[in-house]
Amino acid sequence: MRKREYDFWLLFAVIALTAIGIVMVFSASSYYAAFTVNNKYHYLIRQLLWSGVGLVLMFVVSNIDYRRLALLSPILMLVSIVLLILVAIPGIGSVSNNARRWFNLGFTTFQPSELMKLSLIMFLSFSLAKNHGRLRFFFSGLVPYLLIVGFVDFLLLLEPHYSCAILITAVAAVILFCAGARLLHFFAIGGPALAAAAYLIYSSEYRWKRFVSFLDPFSDPQGAGYQVVNSLYAIASGSIFGRGLGKSLQKYLYIPEPQNDFIFSIVAEELGFVGAFTVIAFFLLLIWRGIRISMNAPDMMGSLMAIGLTSLIAIESIVNIAVVTATIPVTGMPLPFISYGGTSMLFHLVGMGILLNISRNNTYSLAPVKGAELLKRARQGEG
Amino acid sequence: MKSGNGKYRTGTQPRTALKAPVDLKSVRKKKQAGEIPTQPNTRMLKRREFFMLLVFTLSLFFMLYRVGFIQFVKGEEYQKKAYSTQTQKRMINPKRGTIYDRNGKGLAISASVDTVSVNPNGLRSEVKEPEKLQQLAQKLGEMLEMDAGDILEIFYKNSRFEYIKRKIDRDLGARVRNYVIGELGLQSIYIDEDSKRYYPNGSLAAHVLGFTGVDDQGLAGIELKLDATLRGMPGKIMNEVDVLGRPISFSKERYVEAVDGYDVFLTIDETIQYFTEKALEQAALNYNLKRGAAAIVMNPNTGEILAMASYPDFDPNDPDAKPDFVDDPDWKGFSSIENTNLLWSTVFRNKVVNDTYEPGSTFKAITAAAALEEGIVRPETTVVCKPYSLAGHTINCWHAGGHGQQDFAHAVYNSCNPVFVQEALAVGIDKFYSYVRMFGFQKRTGLELAGEPTDEEYRNLWHKNPTEIDLAVAGFGQRFQISPIQLATAYCAIANGGNLMKPMLVKQISDSNGNIIQKFEPQVIRKVISEETSRTVRTILEGVVSEGTGKNAYVSGYRIAGKTGTSETLQTESEGRYVVSFAAIAPADKPEIVVLVVLDHPQVEMHLRSGGILAAPVAGKLCEDILEYLQVERQYSEEDMKKMTEEVYVPSVVGLTVKEAVEKLKAYNLNYLVEGSQDENAVVTAQTPRADFSVPRNSTVILYTEGSPQDNMVPMPDLTNKTVDEATATMRSLGLNIRIKGEGTALSQQYEPGTLLPKGEVVDVEFMLLIAD
Repeated sequence: MRKREYDFWLLFAVIALTAIGIVMVFSASSYYAAFTVNNKYHYLIRQLLWSGVGLVLMFVVSNIDYRRLALLSPILMLVSIVLLILVAIPGIGSVSNNARRWFNLGFTTFQPSELMKLSLIMFLSFSLAKNHGRLRFFFSGLVPYLLIVGFVDFLLLLEPHYSCAILITAVAAVILFCAGARLLHFFAIGGPALAAAAYLIYSSEYRWKRFVSFLDPFSDPQGAGYQVVNSLYAIASGSIFGRGLGKSLQKYLYIPEPQNDFIFSIVAEELGFVGAFTVIAFFLLLIWRGIRISMNAPDMMGSLMAIGLTSLIAIESIVNIAVVTATIPVTGMPLPFISYGGTSMLFHLVGMGILLNISRNNTYSLAPVKGAELLKRARQGEG
Repeated sequence: MKSGNGKYRTGTQPRTALKAPVDLKSVRKKKQAGEIPTQPNTRMLKRREFFMLLVFTLSLFFMLYRVGFIQFVKGEEYQKKAYSTQTQKRMINPKRGTIYDRNGKGLAISASVDTVSVNPNGLRSEVKEPEKLQQLAQKLGEMLEMDAGDILEIFYKNSRFEYIKRKIDRDLGARVRNYVIGELGLQSIYIDEDSKRYYPNGSLAAHVLGFTGVDDQGLAGIELKLDATLRGMPGKIMNEVDVLGRPISFSKERYVEAVDGYDVFLTIDETIQYFTEKALEQAALNYNLKRGAAAIVMNPNTGEILAMASYPDFDPNDPDAKPDFVDDPDWKGFSSIENTNLLWSTVFRNKVVNDTYEPGSTFKAITAAAALEEGIVRPETTVVCKPYSLAGHTINCWHAGGHGQQDFAHAVYNSCNPVFVQEALAVGIDKFYSYVRMFGFQKRTGLELAGEPTDEEYRNLWHKNPTEIDLAVAGFGQRFQISPIQLATAYCAIANGGNLMKPMLVKQISDSNGNIIQKFEPQVIRKVISEETSRTVRTILEGVVSEGTGKNAYVSGYRIAGKTGTSETLQTESEGRYVVSFAAIAPADKPEIVVLVVLDHPQVEMHLRSGGILAAPVAGKLCEDILEYLQVERQYSEEDMKKMTEEVYVPSVVGLTVKEAVEKLKAYNLNYLVEGSQDENAVVTAQTPRADFSVPRNSTVILYTEGSPQDNMVPMPDLTNKTVDEATATMRSLGLNIRIKGEGTALSQQYEPGTLLPKGEVVDVEFMLLIAD
């Protein structure tokens, strides 16, 4: 097949978000870094480094045919599972915040769950492209995939890493849904799953507190609601144009680790509604282009891989912004490309590299399809 | 993969490539037959992917809505809350206005001091090592004279602001600043400007001034009543701070300067106040006043209060110190409610304004004024003082059997109760009580001090519907109560020609640059009596002092008008309650001051408990001191002059022969006594009293031809209760000279009995007339 060009707008969105991330990580982290490690460039340097390496890897990966990459997916899957088991073993994985999620490699830390996200998306796409026909059947089609996802979730819960488990489950659900799983099956599993989740929240005092604090963060502004309250203060302080770049007050340790999960509120505080709108707009652009790529992918595997990679970014960004705006309870999910986060940055960019490669194989990559036309075509398909 | 590849085409693929919807049965059959569809359902795939695009897009739009909602709907609310956590505000107390006396002498002054505070969270992030914190606490403890442990405890509080020590000396503040900021470079310990109230004269005018609390708020007296005027506006230092309370780099410290309070000028004269307090203190000491004393000095022409004193008093610099009369080793001051209540009911009480009492005979001046104004009586009108019967009661004069026939003026000199009963009845109930109200009784004076009874409370101290017997008794000042300030104000009206003045305590309010903010002018409330009546009453009252019951208030050279008062109110206490008082107007012809002295519960022998004996001398001496200070010239009457010439200056006779010396002394109307050789030609080597010493006429001068005065010491005898003649004889027999002050029986002597004195020494002895009223 003839090599074509990258999807320009996707590339543009990724680079724009990464650039915003570098600037915002510096702005958000400088005081925190000066305070904790006595070097206000600490996080900036690392973010620059990981972004740089990530972008290079993205271009490398974008030049590898995704179909060849997909052949590696069973091996990647196995490696990810082994690593997830290893990291859960005390003495091998390092502990932080009561969770054993990281390998300490000395110069950096590495989260196997990041690798697992990519591996699982690739593996599911690879496998479903062959077995999509079976998906109509519950036990022989859907259940094996559910078992795989459930097993991964189980490993993640060992660490524990709930947010990642939720994310992986959600992304897997999108892939299975698009691959043709029956809605009836979804409801049959989703209903009890929701009930189980509700029970889990209710059964643990810690989780229940966190849940309740989301409903009324101001009931305990110094305790459970602390992060959310300070996030709301930051966002509210931004108003239309923000305090100005670098002028956040909430980053002065009111928001703990402001360069991480709550960086969006710093963006909203410094750059205002305009800044928040811009970031959200880039995510919208990325998601639109990503799904367009999946709809125009040359084969089902590419299509599923594209929707999986796009969903990963979409869900992470939506959940993250929902958390900082007190729309849902606090879950530790970073904002892709913007939040500081060494290896996770790397894997996100690698994922984008795969997506770009799929876009090069798109049948429509030369002629951008307008939304209206897409709709029309979808209708035609129906009629 | 191979199966998927190549076969899969995009949306343009003809519909024929897609399988028609399958029913479950056929699928199962196909599955059993090993026919699983390998053709992907492209249409469904795209539809579902497109559906996900919609879900994600809508979700992100919803997030955008949430951001907008937080920023624009909840924005202000959250911003306010954020502001209060992001900024640290330290208050700067304004300099409280000074309270001056009428001559600009500072009575209550605010000194600039420093207050040391800390941001414990910030400090702990600045000084991480516990040993260093310990060291810092130790050093600060030494400097601030505090327990290092207490300071350390403050350091470990989870807080962004705590006081360490408030209101320290500026020198000490500078030293702490040097150490903490200069040497250590700490940012979390602040040394801020503050102000501290202090009262340079200690307890002087304590009841007028009041005192302030730790936040410089007025708690009593003028400090309380004019708190808003004196206080000023606090300033603040605002900083944007990080979560530990440390200022963030780009934040500018915003400094809102404090606005100093206004200065208050009182009508009080520091010197007169001092005289007044000394007089009360002395009286309290001499008479063992169980319930203290009150005195007030007013300018009758303006209503200005020149002095206001209440005993016992307190030091506003340390208001909750243990009063002398309390014997409590566990005294806790304001930290104990009991102690605090005790303070408020004793030393903090301003008896001039807060307390009421039966005025007794001092009120006769009011009755007399009413009767004279109504034309019922004239000073020369003949009246009869004999027991008066009314409604089954008999009212006697203090003088057994009464004074019989006399003119009205003398009835006042003698303070005859039956005469005042007659006059009051003649004035009549309506008129009498109308005068009572016109003189300002039954109504608060509206003085700038807290705690004066309300109009209603005042009214309740009088009979509601007075009958004739009530009126009769009220005529000589009994069975109703008034406050000292009311009586003094009424006396001002009698003194100044008949105008009831509004009592004034505050003369002027001005800002710290001296610009006048408000000036208070004397205010005439109403005309009560005529000029003539005023003059007549003053003349009669002058007679009270020169020849009546007020004789003990007599001061040679000053014309003092006044009236004594003694009242005994039946109280729960078995011994009853005596209040003796004296109200004076001086000088009688051209009044400059009105003085009222009220002594509560004197613990002296029964026969001494009268205003004429106890209060009159105190008031007389006070009048003398004040008039002298006001440089009112003495106008000596003939009698005064006679008394004055009774003193002579001792001539120097040392070096002369005895003969020459005796001749010289005779020319001076002095007696002599020679110690040593009696030879006429012996030379006098020493003399007592020494030359140029003023001694009473006919005193004895001791001449020494041998020996010295030190060898001829005699013990001072006890002269108490001796008459003038008895005392003189006793002293003469010992070779001592006596200077007689007053008349009657000896009350006090200059030296304690038994004191060794050289022969010839002149000893002052005070005598007093024992008169009741």
